Amino acid sequence: MADNDKTSILILDDEEIVLRRLKPVLEKCGYAVETFVRSQDAFDRVQKTDFDIVITDLKMEGLDGMQFMGVVKERSPRTEVIVITGFATMETAKASYQQGVFDFLAKPFKVGEIIETVKRAENKLKNASGA
Amino acid sequence: MIRQVRQALRRWRPLNSPAPLTVLFARFQNILKLNNQILEMMADMNDKSGGDYVFDRQYIRSACGDMTDLVHTLIDNFNILVQGRYRELHEPFHRISREIDGELEGRRHVPDMPFVMRYKDITVASAEVVGGKSANLAELKNKLAMPVPEGFAITLAAFQHLLDENHLSVKIAELLSGWNGGETTAMETSQRIRELILSAPVPLDMQQAIRKALSVVMKNTGNTRMGWAVRSSALGEDSEHSFAGQFKTLLNISTDGVLEAYGQILASTYSVPAMIYRREKGIKDNEVAMAVSCQQTIPALKSGVLFTLDPLAPETEQMTLSAAWGLGAPLVDGKMQADQYRIMRRYPHQIMQMEVVRKPERWAPLDGGGCAFEAVPPDRQDRPCLQEDEVLQIAQMGMKIEKYFRKPQEVEWSVDPDGNIYILQARPLNIRARISQMVCDISDVIQDHPVIFAHKGVIAQNGIAGGTTFVVRNEDDLARFPAGAILVAKQSSPKFAAVAGIVSGIITDVGSPTGHMATIVREFRIPTILNTGVATTLLTSGREITMDAEQNIVYEGIVDKLCLYEFVEDAFEETYEYRLLRRVLKRISPLSLLDPKDRNFTPRACRTYHDITRFIHEKAVAALIHLNTGPVGGKSRTSGVRLKSDIPLDLTMIDIGGGLTTDRIWAKSIEITQIQSKPMLAFLTGLQSGGVWSTDPMAVDFKGFMSSLTRTFSTHQAGPKEIGRNLAVVSAEYANINLRIGYHFNLVDAYISEQMNDNYAYFRFMGGVTDQTRRNRRTKLIAIILEQNDFMVRLRQDLVVARIKKLDSTRMAEKVVLLGRLVAFTRQLDAKMSNDGQIEHYLLKFKALTTGGPVSAT
Repeated sequence: MADNDKTSILILDDEEIVLRRLKPVLEKCGYAVETFVRSQDAFDRVQKTDFDIVITDLKMEGLDGMQFMGVVKERSPRTEVIVITGFATMETAKASYQQGVFDFLAKPFKVGEIIETVKRAENKLKNASGA
Repeated sequence: MIRQVRQALRRWRPLNSPAPLTVLFARFQNILKLNNQILEMMADMNDKSGGDYVFDRQYIRSACGDMTDLVHTLIDNFNILVQGRYRELHEPFHRISREIDGELEGRRHVPDMPFVMRYKDITVASAEVVGGKSANLAELKNKLAMPVPEGFAITLAAFQHLLDENHLSVKIAELLSGWNGGETTAMETSQRIRELILSAPVPLDMQQAIRKALSVVMKNTGNTRMGWAVRSSALGEDSEHSFAGQFKTLLNISTDGVLEAYGQILASTYSVPAMIYRREKGIKDNEVAMAVSCQQTIPALKSGVLFTLDPLAPETEQMTLSAAWGLGAPLVDGKMQADQYRIMRRYPHQIMQMEVVRKPERWAPLDGGGCAFEAVPPDRQDRPCLQEDEVLQIAQMGMKIEKYFRKPQEVEWSVDPDGNIYILQARPLNIRARISQMVCDISDVIQDHPVIFAHKGVIAQNGIAGGTTFVVRNEDDLARFPAGAILVAKQSSPKFAAVAGIVSGIITDVGSPTGHMATIVREFRIPTILNTGVATTLLTSGREITMDAEQNIVYEGIVDKLCLYEFVEDAFEETYEYRLLRRVLKRISPLSLLDPKDRNFTPRACRTYHDITRFIHEKAVAALIHLNTGPVGGKSRTSGVRLKSDIPLDLTMIDIGGGLTTDRIWAKSIEITQIQSKPMLAFLTGLQSGGVWSTDPMAVDFKGFMSSLTRTFSTHQAGPKEIGRNLAVVSAEYANINLRIGYHFNLVDAYISEQMNDNYAYFRFMGGVTDQTRRNRRTKLIAIILEQNDFMVRLRQDLVVARIKKLDSTRMAEKVVLLGRLVAFTRQLDAKMSNDGQIEHYLLKFKALTTGGPVSAT
């Protein structure tokens, strides 16, 4: 939702609890946040809009997080992707997909950590567009 | 285990040993390692349940899986050490792991609870078996001291008992699977299940329990005339899922009719709307369980409903209140005209609008049960049914409930002919969608409000509060604390509990989130920021502020929208994942095996993984102490020797190579001077150092010393009756020391040689059993001291793990001396550490002790 000057964030995670906790936290920091629990819905959404930042889990039913990231990056290369995934899958994830991911965050993470990561991604976007 | 120790072990060969000590000690080391991993992981999971973390079900599943694997490996390793003597540990292990799996799969484990529980006896721990409604009523009554009519819950244990006695579970599951598979309609399925339940006789023991509860309540209230409100109290009802109107509610049921009403409520669990609701919400069939609430009907003169926030116009910051003569049911259902009030949410709750209507009828209880409409006397029909002070009282109660549950509330109330106000029930109002829309530009709203200070101190309880500040300096201030204000104080104090019901938020200069007050604010969910250092400097009484104890920011003025915004968020405590984590932790971390001398210190008595882990550590140490003791191959000999010293700690040492000089290998005891082990000597030096012991003129034995450590918990728990033996395994360069402190073994594992790179020291300290506040305070102090002395420290709740490595032998020995000193010093911290401010004090004392001569640590 590119609501003029707000940084837009899409969050995809098949566990609703993650969305329920992240959305208000990020909204309060001034971001425009949309959340999706089904990857198909998120997939449909990114066909229509380019988001500034995408936060996605990796292991989900249907389209997995990496395929989703591929779709996002293909359509909007400037979008920064933050991968959130379980500790167990983290190492494989890092090894296989270093390219194109802004950062990885192992679940569980602290609320402060995701905010900090998003802010860094936002700065990178700003620097890129300002340069 | 490290290479050097292995080499030392290889050189050492006892005569006629049944198994090489090398192997056994390696097993022992392995057990210690697993033990550490389990304790750390347990502390980690407890940490995650604290609210700072975002975690999901996957985390809970994988953490439980890892934990189960570790405990299983631990049991196997232990049984190799003790030649299979404790295979029976598999029994509690399998039971616990099954229970955990059951929780993870959503299978309800119905604990062994009574069939019936009075509201007053319901605690947080029993909330799971009484269902949402009764748990809420009990919280209102017991925590907030709200006037809730007397009553009791018929628990899930009763529901399960009824199903079991009548063999219904399988039949119901079959009928449901027919519906799920599309073979039968919802209507047919519902009909057949309800018939099954309604025709099932209530078991006699349950009948007795229910009848007894009814008569006890009637005796207590002296009210035998009024009937009972019998209502569903399903799991999660009124909290995570509203289920509004899905289940039956039966009002003014005669005492004789309660049993039949109970059956009807149970049957309504499978009403068509309830079945469909569950399917839509993804609530699994095996999660369904129904408890029932029985509440005595109040002979209401008037009744009504309060919404603590107008759901249709939240931006007005007003409550709405409706009131009518008689009982309130038709009003709740929207079937009757009522007086309407609009009241300001903010204290002193000014009445903004009042609309009195004609009320010709009232809903009245009938003798012998049931209700009917009857005419209201003409002179009352046009009168407002509430007095102004009643309106304010109800409004205040509503806000108190809202503050506690951190969501706007729908509160049903009644006033009896004597003018007593009663709260019949309270449930959260779902206005999320509307508020979300309203506050989507929250960041802009915040921008209009100057920040007074931000990111100072620590959040002890999250939440958002707006209000007027009130600085509390003494108890007089506390006594005149205004309702709804934000408390500002220099220090945190448990005395603030006195205003828990009326305070909106708390900010202090000094204080720690592990302090006693923090426990209280969490219990009452009062947004609290502690240890800001600046609160009393920047805030004077009478200033309007908004404290955001989510982001840790204090704003100038009242940011109404921010206050509303909080309602959009789920109280973390009310999410399914939070409750699931707490539930599995109940099977993992409480310690019930305390005293090794207790008759019940057996594998059979293990209730949790912690119990199993604790049991194994105890018995593994014992196994090593008693190693080779007694006749082996017809000869009698010992390999462990006991230490004689001024501090007669009951320490058995096993030398695995050059750790002790003994002329005779058969010696049963040795002096300190015979110890050659560098780390062991260093540790004993620290333990003995003058200042640490100088305050106590009496000969302090290790028993006394250790039980003084445990005295910290004595308010709840007696110290161990007898402290058993301690164990050290030593070589010239190595020591592995297992010391009992409180109920736990604490570990020092150190290696000191001339090879700087091989040197290390490891220390593990775990607090006690109860009184989390104090033990956290002590572990925190220990952690700080270790950190100041260059250890790498991990502190989680009451567990401290400290490591240091690669120092030359002189410096490493100093560190181990410090560990000895620290262990002894800790003894002086028992009852004295009653508040967080003392941490600093004891830090200085300890420093003086390590640098100067004998210093009293009082």
